[in-house]
Amino acid sequence: MRGKPKLAVYWTGGCGGCDVSFLELGPALLDVLSQVEIVFWPALVDTKRADLEELPPRSITATLVNGTLRTEENVEMVRLLREKSQLVVAFGACAHLGGVPGLANLASREEILRTVTGNGFRLAPPPGGDAEDSPPELLGAARPLADEVAVDYTVPGCPPMPSLIGPFFEALLSGDLPDPGHVFAQEQALCKECPRTREDRKLTKVLRPHEALPDPQECLLDQGMICMGPVTRGGCGAACPKAGMPCTGCVGPTPEAGDPALAMIAALGSLVRAGDEGPAAFAAEDRVLDTLVDPLGTFYKYSLPVYVRARRAA
Amino acid sequence: MAEDFEPKVVAFLCRWCAGAGADLAGTSRLRYPPNAIPIRVNCSGRVDMEWVMEAFRSGADGVLIGGCHPGDCHYVSGNYKTRRRVYLLRKVLAEMGIEPERVRLEWVSATEGAKFARVMREFVSELKKLGPLHLEGAERAAEPVAARGRS
Amino acid sequence: MPNPRPDARGPRIGVFVCHCGKNIAGTVEVERVVEALARHPGVVYAARHEYMCSDPGQDLIKRAIKDHRLTGVVVAACSPTMHETTFRNAAEEAGLNPYLLEIANIREGCSWVHEGPETTDKAIRIARAAVEKVKGNHPLAPTEVGHADKCLVIGGGVSGIQAALDVANAGYEVVLVERSPSIGGRMAQLSETFPTLDCSQCILTPKMVEAARHPKIRLLTYAEVESVSGYLGNYHVVIRKKPTYVDPDKCNLCGDCAKVCPVRVPDEFNRGLSPRAAIYVPFPQAVPSSYTLDEEHCLGLNPLRCGECAKVCTVGAINYDMREERIEEDVAAIVVATGYDLYGKERMTEYGAGTVPDVIDALEFERLLSAGGPTRGEVRRPSDGKVPKEVVFIQCSGSRDPELHKPYCSKICCMYTAKHALLYRHSVHDGTAYIFYIDIRAGGKEYEEFVVRAMEDERILYLRGKVAKVYRDGDKVIVWGVDTLTGKRIEVAADLVVLAQAMVPSVGTEELARKLHIACGGEGFLKEAHPKLRPLEALTAGIFLAGAAHGPKDIPEAVAQGSGAAAKAIAILSSPTLTHSPEVAEVDEDLCSGCAVCVPQCPYGAISPGEVAHVNELLCEGCGTCVAACPSGAMRMRNQTDDQVKRMIRVALGEPVEVGRG
Repeated sequence: MRGKPKLAVYWTGGCGGCDVSFLELGPALLDVLSQVEIVFWPALVDTKRADLEELPPRSITATLVNGTLRTEENVEMVRLLREKSQLVVAFGACAHLGGVPGLANLASREEILRTVTGNGFRLAPPPGGDAEDSPPELLGAARPLADEVAVDYTVPGCPPMPSLIGPFFEALLSGDLPDPGHVFAQEQALCKECPRTREDRKLTKVLRPHEALPDPQECLLDQGMICMGPVTRGGCGAACPKAGMPCTGCVGPTPEAGDPALAMIAALGSLVRAGDEGPAAFAAEDRVLDTLVDPLGTFYKYSLPVYVRARRAA
Repeated sequence: MAEDFEPKVVAFLCRWCAGAGADLAGTSRLRYPPNAIPIRVNCSGRVDMEWVMEAFRSGADGVLIGGCHPGDCHYVSGNYKTRRRVYLLRKVLAEMGIEPERVRLEWVSATEGAKFARVMREFVSELKKLGPLHLEGAERAAEPVAARGRS
Repeated sequence: MPNPRPDARGPRIGVFVCHCGKNIAGTVEVERVVEALARHPGVVYAARHEYMCSDPGQDLIKRAIKDHRLTGVVVAACSPTMHETTFRNAAEEAGLNPYLLEIANIREGCSWVHEGPETTDKAIRIARAAVEKVKGNHPLAPTEVGHADKCLVIGGGVSGIQAALDVANAGYEVVLVERSPSIGGRMAQLSETFPTLDCSQCILTPKMVEAARHPKIRLLTYAEVESVSGYLGNYHVVIRKKPTYVDPDKCNLCGDCAKVCPVRVPDEFNRGLSPRAAIYVPFPQAVPSSYTLDEEHCLGLNPLRCGECAKVCTVGAINYDMREERIEEDVAAIVVATGYDLYGKERMTEYGAGTVPDVIDALEFERLLSAGGPTRGEVRRPSDGKVPKEVVFIQCSGSRDPELHKPYCSKICCMYTAKHALLYRHSVHDGTAYIFYIDIRAGGKEYEEFVVRAMEDERILYLRGKVAKVYRDGDKVIVWGVDTLTGKRIEVAADLVVLAQAMVPSVGTEELARKLHIACGGEGFLKEAHPKLRPLEALTAGIFLAGAAHGPKDIPEAVAQGSGAAAKAIAILSSPTLTHSPEVAEVDEDLCSGCAVCVPQCPYGAISPGEVAHVNELLCEGCGTCVAACPSGAMRMRNQTDDQVKRMIRVALGEPVEVGRG
């Protein structure tokens, strides 16, 4: 018999929430941990890059990478992990789609550095340090994991919910793995899991979540809240809408939805009503759409680096 | 600016109004620049916003959507849906740094061959002023992410 | 389905490029289009012909389909509106499913509008895009469906009556719904008709009686269509029939009930020029021939407050317990003949209408002229009952006035104003009629002659010009106008002013149109499918238009349109089965989340929500608005999927086509 599967978990440009998300498995986590051997997980065990470099190629059964790719060091590490791993899993929205840090792509690297550090900043080693002690260079843009290495599976979410992590570990530990490319979430949108009622489908106003206490039964979209549910994969059990918060799309778009912004533009544009449709309502319809604050940030909250590749230089 | 820049355009034309207007422009032998490749749809309401971006990613400098005048839609109200979708799309394009004028929505009736030809001339000349879009370098992002991983 | 697409072997597309004489070949290098397309992936055969639509051209296509085992065909030729059917039929004759043939329009959209080498380049791109579409097409077959065996006619005016009679005489059952207590419509209110001066009621009532007695016609008066669902051939209609509280089989029209009724309200049929009781018959020849108790104005039925009418009814026709009936019918076709109203005269403040009692509209004047009217046919003005000696008729009142009123011509006013003036002069021999007009539109059989006859009467003065102002001065109505032919200002101290008010669709037309899922044009008249070639059809299949609900028209036109609509309905009723285009939307149930964003996008109510959405493909007209709206890509358009269109876009914009080589 082969030994326990060897597991690595690595964190690139992210918030750390993905590392914590494993805890949400609860007692099941103990089962998982007893069945794997952790060979590399900086957040959990004291392993260094040098330890990793010593491992033979493909000796890690599965590496779970969370975080967006933002620095050259991120890229070096995920390439190294790819080489040492049989399977690489994009874990969480940042690795999957670029994630919230990906919204930084609306500004250039230079703009970001200037804003954060002021003019005249240069990357340099600490006083008296060697050149290799310099902070790693920022990449030109935040990028999803699949931009640099082949990704075998994706466990999506921000952070991934236990309902998505669980099936992944079940598959990994049983050896009954799906076809490469599988995303551990539903192909249908999460409306399928949402208990809210959809009686009168129309959007007569746009409200941000803090602007109203939503009706507990009615679809949030029908109440004017921009819920990304219709374009977003299910699997989370519609956790946010059930709690009265519109879905922000962290699990990523359904396979056929394509670009979530374009899909939402089509859906919202279709649903807007300001009285009977016709020229007399045009201005009022436009006002409804104008109240949608930050459409780009709303539609691409987790996915800008994947879908907006070519922001043209100003 | 390159004077010889010839913008590439995709024109989605509904069959009942804008498409028929384009046919009439033909029957009337009205000349207009050949920059646009027409794609016929039943209704402007069929035009997917994905198509517009696909056109830009595939090298188009502009996209024209032609539908029936308000009140004249063969399918009652498809043009109203398109109008709102395009309104929102143009806002998002502007945020992406793409000039919203590159997406043009026009109402052209079956009797407005001259208007169709005029719209084509105007649009091409406006796109010439805007210059090339150069979105060709953009990778296609429509495919699911996992499928794009290189192995 | 026949001819399954042999995916395994890959597509085998044939491309056929038409010269169309010089029409295409004059600006497009056809040979180069053929060469370029022959090299396009998936194309196994490419050819050209001088006239592809000719028999030899079609034979070329048919032979190639067989010889090269083509799985798809692109004909690069004229607009698909011209010959798509021709070529699809040819393909079918050769054994290829017709939905696997597409037209690339390289004439109207290319060769006729461009010149220079780019024209050929564009033609190639257009043809390549069509090839990409065909590659993704699936063989389809029209859906066959049975149908109901009745026709619904909405509106019991002369147009609706004619439609009902024609359908019934062809042997099919008709449900004729009229919202007022009697059929007859506007024509029943008219005195005489132009240009023959036939008595309007005398020529109409035989048709009314025939409709009422026809064994194939179910007449539902005092009734309105509440809802309509379904599709061509199978509409389900719910009709509400208000209670009349009078049994029409027992009522003998003695009128005792109306005499004892303590209520008096303005009589609608007489345009408010006389009162009626709460129990009334609109006019003596009403069909059905019965009194109606108007619940709105009755002192009270529940609890009964008066009850006088029942006490005097010797035949026991009055039944206070009568209830509203809800009637359901399944019909194959619907004729909408809901007629017109006059544009409210009170809007003509410049003409003093609404405040000056002796400024009346044309239908009020018709009632004054009618023998059965409030003045028994004597022309007497409303304010004091005097016979007016000076009458001013103002044409285009509210018509042809885009700034303030209606932009269109109401078409019949020139004619009926001439009639009014003549009839007035017949009635008041020493009276003078003045007619203010913009110009005279008398297109119609013997119409011009009729107007000339009016003009030749020396006491009918045609004045070309607009009226600036009308106001009351004592018992006179002063009319200020200009005769633009002489340039003189004109002031007439008139006894009566008659406004030829614009025609507008009858009240409730838009609401009914919504129920029927048909469209109204900008001015609220029902919209036809094509202004030239399909003037009788609404945009929704199986619904036809008749009479003035569709636009201003005179009686012969309304009757002709009623007959025309009936012929269209009969064509449906007499077909063994109906077919519906298979190029419609469908739901991928594995992808649909049931979010229902699609549901309100459908103008035909074809989508029902649920766990997953469901498209009734017989209701779907194939617009694709729901497909573009679907957030998760679960709604698809048959033979025009997003993937197909994206491939078309890519080849249309693909690498430049080398032109001018060799």
